[in-house]
Amino acid sequence: MRRVDRKDESTVYQRVVLKNASPYHYMKVCLVLEDESTRLSAVEFKCFIISGLKSLFGEVGAALTFDLLKYDEDTLTALLRVCSRGLVKLWSSLTLLGSYQNQACAFRVLQVSPYLLALTGNSRELQLY
Amino acid sequence: MSVFMDLNLSFTAERSRLRSLIETAAHLGFSTVAINYVHEPTTKKKQEVPTPTPINELIDQLPIVQGRSRPIRVLNRLTVVMSESSYFRPADPAYRSFDLLAISPATEKLFHAACMSYDIDIICVPVTEKLPFTLKRAPVNGAVDRGVVFEVSYSAAIRDSTMRRYTIANANSLMESCKGKGVILSSAAEKALELRGPYDLTNLGLLFGLSDKDAKEAVSSTCRSVLLHAESRRTANGIIYTTKSCSDSSCQQEAPDSELCDAPAAKRLRPPPRVTDS
Repeated sequence: MRRVDRKDESTVYQRVVLKNASPYHYMKVCLVLEDESTRLSAVEFKCFIISGLKSLFGEVGAALTFDLLKYDEDTLTALLRVCSRGLVKLWSSLTLLGSYQNQACAFRVLQVSPYLLALTGNSRELQLY
Repeated sequence: MSVFMDLNLSFTAERSRLRSLIETAAHLGFSTVAINYVHEPTTKKKQEVPTPTPINELIDQLPIVQGRSRPIRVLNRLTVVMSESSYFRPADPAYRSFDLLAISPATEKLFHAACMSYDIDIICVPVTEKLPFTLKRAPVNGAVDRGVVFEVSYSAAIRDSTMRRYTIANANSLMESCKGKGVILSSAAEKALELRGPYDLTNLGLLFGLSDKDAKEAVSSTCRSVLLHAESRRTANGIIYTTKSCSDSSCQQEAPDSELCDAPAAKRLRPPPRVTDS
């Protein structure tokens, strides 16, 4: 959606407002389990998230397409990509997901951004030497 | 910069579990937490109101909040589960050692009384069962005008799927009555893995029927207004408050914007205090 504003007669400039410019939202999440030595494969991880979507939003929610772009099995950290319209659904189902195979778990959402480049830096983990 | 608070962490007798709760809350970014002592009086036997253990006994070094340079602030809160109106005794001196007072009403009459007249800060909306009464707009608006907030806790939704339905249903009916004003979201977490970050809660608020702005306020500015309401509730007309002057009171000092009188003046005979205009 482009909107053009003319504020002043003498200095003519153009203001462009882009709403929802990015079709996808990217999330960096980390799964924290009660038993810290458990390992999940990428397939199991995605299956787990789909089961969470299904238990909260049903079949319609489980039909929400999201992609697992990167997965680190040792730290259980993943990069997810989801359609912008489905961000609230995916995020809330990650929040309310409480148990994996009878052990308590929590999804810690580290970063969310409509642009993938923004996920490269994180001011929380910034270390100034 | 908004300050996030989680005003309901369940008290457990296990020190290590409580310590890990507070550390996780600090790691997630909550600047202030309140440890909740639940008091459930019954007619059968007389139960004492629990006394809060001092914070320095619970944890040696308060962890630094992630993203800030200050340590986390830990407060004490009492929740009275009321099924009869005689259970809440505001003149009880044991109530004075708690920073926040909350009520969990079980009947419509108690809910109405709690909203309109009781001297409390927080009203807990039941999330583990179907609402036993409808939340009418009149008492809800009366409570919001007085500064009393409604609390929705979310950790039951994480534990069990039936509770999830009740939480979402009850929260939605609350939002219909109060239009999103005067609501706080908090966990009633017993384990560190049941806590969620402040932005996760902001997103969850959207699911409960809050708007974007109200959802963020439910975790930050409404919580701060509850703390200020609690502070002014403990003063006389919001102007003077007494505090015991002891040597290690520095960790619990709050910046007073009112005059400070030393107790044990309560025992000493003195002329009635002059109320100055603030």
